[in-house]
Amino acid sequence: MSEPPPVVVVVEDEKLIRRFVRTSLEEEGCRVFEAATSAQGLLESGRQKPDLVVLDLGLPDGNGIDFIRDMRAWSDAPILVLSARAHEKDKIQALDVGADDYLTKPFGVGELRARARALLRRKNRGGEGATPLVVFGNVQVDLSRRVVTRGGETVHLTPIEYRLLGVLLANTGKVMTQRHLLREVWGASSVESNHYLRVYVGHLRQKLEDDPTQPTYLLTETGVGYRFKP
Amino acid sequence: MWFRARLPDNSFSALAPWQRFALAALVCAATTLIATPLLAYLDLANIVMLFLLAVLLIAVSLGLAPALFAAFLSVGMFDFFFVPPRFSFEVHDGQYLVTFVVMLAVAMITGQLAAGLRQQADESISEALRTRALYEMARDLSGALTLEQVAEITRNFLRKVLNADATILLPDVAGTLQPCAGSDHARLLIEPRFARIAFDRGTPIDCPQLVASGYAVLYLPLIAPMRVRGVIAVAPLDGQKEHLLEQRERLETMASLAAIAVERVHYVEVAQRTQVQMVSERLRSSILSAVSHDLRTPLTALVGLADSLTVSKPPLGEVALETSVAIREQAERLAGLVGNLLDMARLHAGEVTLLKEWLPIEEVIGSSIKLLGRALAEHPVKVALAKDLPLVEFDAVLIERVFCNLLENAAKYSPPGSPIEIVAQTRDGTLEVAVSDGGRGFALEKDTALFKMFVRGEAESSMPGVGLGLAICSAIVEAHAGTIKAANRAQGGACVTFTLPLGDPPTIEEEVPPRKEGHRS
Repeated sequence: MSEPPPVVVVVEDEKLIRRFVRTSLEEEGCRVFEAATSAQGLLESGRQKPDLVVLDLGLPDGNGIDFIRDMRAWSDAPILVLSARAHEKDKIQALDVGADDYLTKPFGVGELRARARALLRRKNRGGEGATPLVVFGNVQVDLSRRVVTRGGETVHLTPIEYRLLGVLLANTGKVMTQRHLLREVWGASSVESNHYLRVYVGHLRQKLEDDPTQPTYLLTETGVGYRFKP
Repeated sequence: MWFRARLPDNSFSALAPWQRFALAALVCAATTLIATPLLAYLDLANIVMLFLLAVLLIAVSLGLAPALFAAFLSVGMFDFFFVPPRFSFEVHDGQYLVTFVVMLAVAMITGQLAAGLRQQADESISEALRTRALYEMARDLSGALTLEQVAEITRNFLRKVLNADATILLPDVAGTLQPCAGSDHARLLIEPRFARIAFDRGTPIDCPQLVASGYAVLYLPLIAPMRVRGVIAVAPLDGQKEHLLEQRERLETMASLAAIAVERVHYVEVAQRTQVQMVSERLRSSILSAVSHDLRTPLTALVGLADSLTVSKPPLGEVALETSVAIREQAERLAGLVGNLLDMARLHAGEVTLLKEWLPIEEVIGSSIKLLGRALAEHPVKVALAKDLPLVEFDAVLIERVFCNLLENAAKYSPPGSPIEIVAQTRDGTLEVAVSDGGRGFALEKDTALFKMFVRGEAESSMPGVGLGLAICSAIVEAHAGTIKAANRAQGGACVTFTLPLGDPPTIEEEVPPRKEGHRS
């Protein structure tokens, strides 16, 4: 390969977790650098200019939220957060200050690699080469003509439904917090009207999913937000 | 005099009535004695003045009755000792009759005026004293930190100022009025019915007939700004109920002072309790999160390391691969159990605050099926939702736990390949959700026991689990003011049904008609 391998910094205080995260990512073809504390992590990130940061939210020195803020001041490398269940508030906060995705502990290697891959791909894709045509399942969204078809049939979407779908598609694979989606689709004054978001996501699922009760593309991240997964 | 406080500048007020009259007589006699040698030098008119002066002094110092008595006595003595012929009540000069009448009239009028003034002065002094005592009580009450102190201060006030005894009655946890602990040495008898009426109605109750029996005669509610805090029962110490009843207004002032003090002490206690509670809750929550971190960290490492073994390169041998898969599965199960235990601990510690939102129920149904993933691989899940289910207000994360636990149970206790059904509909103002499987059903007769911690359907079951799942479901559903019950279906299989109250969902405004843009219907 002519392209240099992607660089990943893993910030995690538990040595054994760090170890298997490292081996999994190395199998993905990444160069991995480890850090056990938040301070060390920032230092390492500054030095290595990573393409991805894997960050444990429960670090012994200072919290991960501050790490993300600090890092976002000079880098837009994707950040994958590791956090325990029942800490939804931390996850939302992390996403709101600039994290890109999260994994709930405990997690398997497969999940970790898939998330890392998605984040790295999104970073590489950049702006150019993005096609105006998004295809998932039997649904086709032509962003340039604003036409949505399902199995060849045109699907009628209201302007808000289309805008919501657009925001989700633009952030493929990424968890979008409810607040973020509300702001993007309904405007800054609507960030408290969660139920609108719920109802419109429901509409989209009715129109685009095979089984709206068990969606495969427009996924709920309970307590956090939504994610579009092609 | 009922008012017991000493009037500092009047030593005569302590005298009994007969002593006063004797003193008045003595003063008249002394005036006669002083005037007798002066007769040679003074006109009789001036002697009269001396007697008038004496009457005035008596009126000022001894009160009205002795003054009137002295007025008559003075006239008599003047006539007897000074008016010629002396030492007889005979009067030769008719003009002296006028002198007597005028003298009597002047003596009576001045005596009356002076005694009136005296009485007013006395009253204002005692009024001032009582007011001061009330102020002192208010001051003492403002420093009181316990209900016992409030009771003691109130009792002291009543003893000192109104010569009465009192007991403060406060409602206990059950609402029964109990004497405040500090005043139990008081032997005051209380008629609980009157106290209860005064407390419930917030009006004073008096019952003068009780006075002889030693019962409290007056029951004043302690009306504080927030609510009636208790009752103060008052009884006169000397058995003279009239004074008490005359002083109703003052007593009510005292009662409201005591009431405010009781309420203040109550809020001080509430504040202290809240603070203690906050400290202990913070402690509990920090212990919980420390335990949860300490338990999850090695489990995360275990799951991840075992998982990385299964995909390691070069691939493991068959036996080693099977072992590593088994290790991963066991570690995942252990993680699930620990998660359940921690959830239960959190729910029991009251640490969980519901983050309720208006949601369609299918949101969490879908996400929990997705979350369970592999565990449901062998069971198709059929979801049947009634049309147009309204939004329901619940905590998505917690209700997702309920679905996860129910689905996990259903998968665990039914043969592979058998479907799991989720049915949701509205019924009697609730959203009713039923999760049923095609297994053997519950073995227990009483379904309520299933929802207790560590109860399992079959004690000796080969199935893994500690019986926390349903207990957690029950705790979560109850926190949402819902109900949960388990039953066996007629066609076989277990069915757990839970309900969530429907409430009043927020309205969704219709979208403005779509503009003419690219996508057409």
